[in-house]
Amino acid sequence: MKNISPIRPFKSRLRTALSLAVVSAALAPIALLTAEEADKQASKTEKPAEQKSEADSSKTKAKAPPKQLSGAELYSMHCNRCHPERYPTERTAAQWKTILLHMRVRANLPAEQSRTILKYLQDNSGR
Amino acid sequence: MKTRSFALRCAAVGCALAVALPGRTAAAIDDQQFNELKDLVTKLSQKIDKQDQRIEQLEKTHGQDAQVHSQDQKTHEQDQQKIQELEQKLGETQKTISDVQQKAAMAVPAEPLPRVPLDEATVNHNFSILGDAEFQYAKTSGQHGTFLLADFAPIFLYRGGDKVLFEAGFDFILQNNAPGSSGRTTTVNLSFAQLDYLMNDYVTLAAGNLLLPLGTYSERSAGWLNKIPDDPLPRGLVPGSGVGAELRGAVPLGPAGKMLNYTVYGVNGPSSADGTGNASALDLGGNVGLRSDNAIANLHGNPSGGARVGLFMPFRPHYDVELGLSGQSGEWDDAGQHLWSAAVADASLHLGANFEVKGEYIHSWYGSDDLGEISPNGWWVQAGYKVAGLNLDLPLINNLEFVNRYDTMHDGLGTRTRRYTLGYIYYLSNTLLFEGDYEFFRSTDPTQRNRFVFQLSYGF
Repeated sequence: MKNISPIRPFKSRLRTALSLAVVSAALAPIALLTAEEADKQASKTEKPAEQKSEADSSKTKAKAPPKQLSGAELYSMHCNRCHPERYPTERTAAQWKTILLHMRVRANLPAEQSRTILKYLQDNSGR
Repeated sequence: MKTRSFALRCAAVGCALAVALPGRTAAAIDDQQFNELKDLVTKLSQKIDKQDQRIEQLEKTHGQDAQVHSQDQKTHEQDQQKIQELEQKLGETQKTISDVQQKAAMAVPAEPLPRVPLDEATVNHNFSILGDAEFQYAKTSGQHGTFLLADFAPIFLYRGGDKVLFEAGFDFILQNNAPGSSGRTTTVNLSFAQLDYLMNDYVTLAAGNLLLPLGTYSERSAGWLNKIPDDPLPRGLVPGSGVGAELRGAVPLGPAGKMLNYTVYGVNGPSSADGTGNASALDLGGNVGLRSDNAIANLHGNPSGGARVGLFMPFRPHYDVELGLSGQSGEWDDAGQHLWSAAVADASLHLGANFEVKGEYIHSWYGSDDLGEISPNGWWVQAGYKVAGLNLDLPLINNLEFVNRYDTMHDGLGTRTRRYTLGYIYYLSNTLLFEGDYEFFRSTDPTQRNRFVFQLSYGF
């Protein structure tokens, strides 16, 4: 059995990990920047509506209930994490019911979120 | 008629004579008076003749009318008769039809109820096939390049109701027969087969040949889901599946999507290939409950137990981080003298729809008769960036994703392997991926050599 010094492999592993971390750190800001650009363009159209709603809400000073995530939002949150996006029109409503049961188990999704995603997919499946 | 006219003539002559005869007694009539009388009689006779003729004609006409009337009467009677006959026939026909309908109703089964279109959303059972297939061209340094069917992995899903799902996955692999034998072998592996029962919103019971939640790779990254054609090196240190039962679920932490998910399970666990406690005999996936001598028994005295806890924190869609910690421990040798244990830390990060990083650190340790405590370990980290994030207006480029991975493994027996993988994915569609990568190996194992792989991967 080859006698490997524990220090040398540790140094090379450390070097490798650091270089990978550097690469990821370099890519991450690029990703953040490009994503934020896209978000800014989207928020420009929403800003006047938000300002108006802010003015309204300041008058009432009532705490609005926390916004529930919609089916589309939950779908984009959970259903792109592991695999490319699957379109609602790819399956029938009955098939989506079966697949969501499988995904709820596989991805350990909360029941209520799973039902909301299912409704979104069924409503948009068109069949 | 003739009698009447004759009588009228006689009466006329008699009247004429009666007028003439008293004159004889009184005095004699002259010729002029006689001629006038004669003319008068003649005219009266003519008139009478004409009247007779008219009477004759009228009588004739009346006779003809009577005849026509009689014929009409006859025709009417005939028509009446015909109508009666037709009515009778109609009655008989209607009776016949009604008899036939009755007989038909008795002889022919009732028409099936009209089909009501199914409400697909509420169909209470459904069978679906998902899965993936991978086709490769690979060239390993020092070997010939080759095409191969890397994997065909169908997944069968059967939903029986709202709370029960049976799911099973297979791997079909082609392999050459041993040197000296021609032909090929088709290997079918049952990668998982489990019955899932949703007990309530927070607890699901699953039993069967389970995909084990040691890290997230087995459950969420294998096959088509993996962006690089082969598995990370340290995944070989832990079992991907095991026969047993588990409870799993998720608890939401607030309305923003944050959640805690958990899995607790018991499985037969790793075993010894030859029954001994020698390090080389460790078998991670062979203890399925039915022995080769048909005995139904665990190979060792006690099953293994394990669990995973994960925390998922989304900031907004496509921005999230997940951290998980999992482990398993139990006997592995037949005598029950040694434990096999593993601990896995997993993490994933998404920054937008175009960037992700994920990885695992895997550490296992087990006792052995010959080599004492052995501690294999390894880790891998993988990053991917979709060029679409650069917002370049180039359609072909926008379908490209660059992927790179670093993985390393130490088997605890002196063999270390490090690999750098640089690769890409070209998304021909959302389900058809054209992947390629080059793998740089640094290993004390001489069989591990650099290679490149092209893969066509289809998820269905």
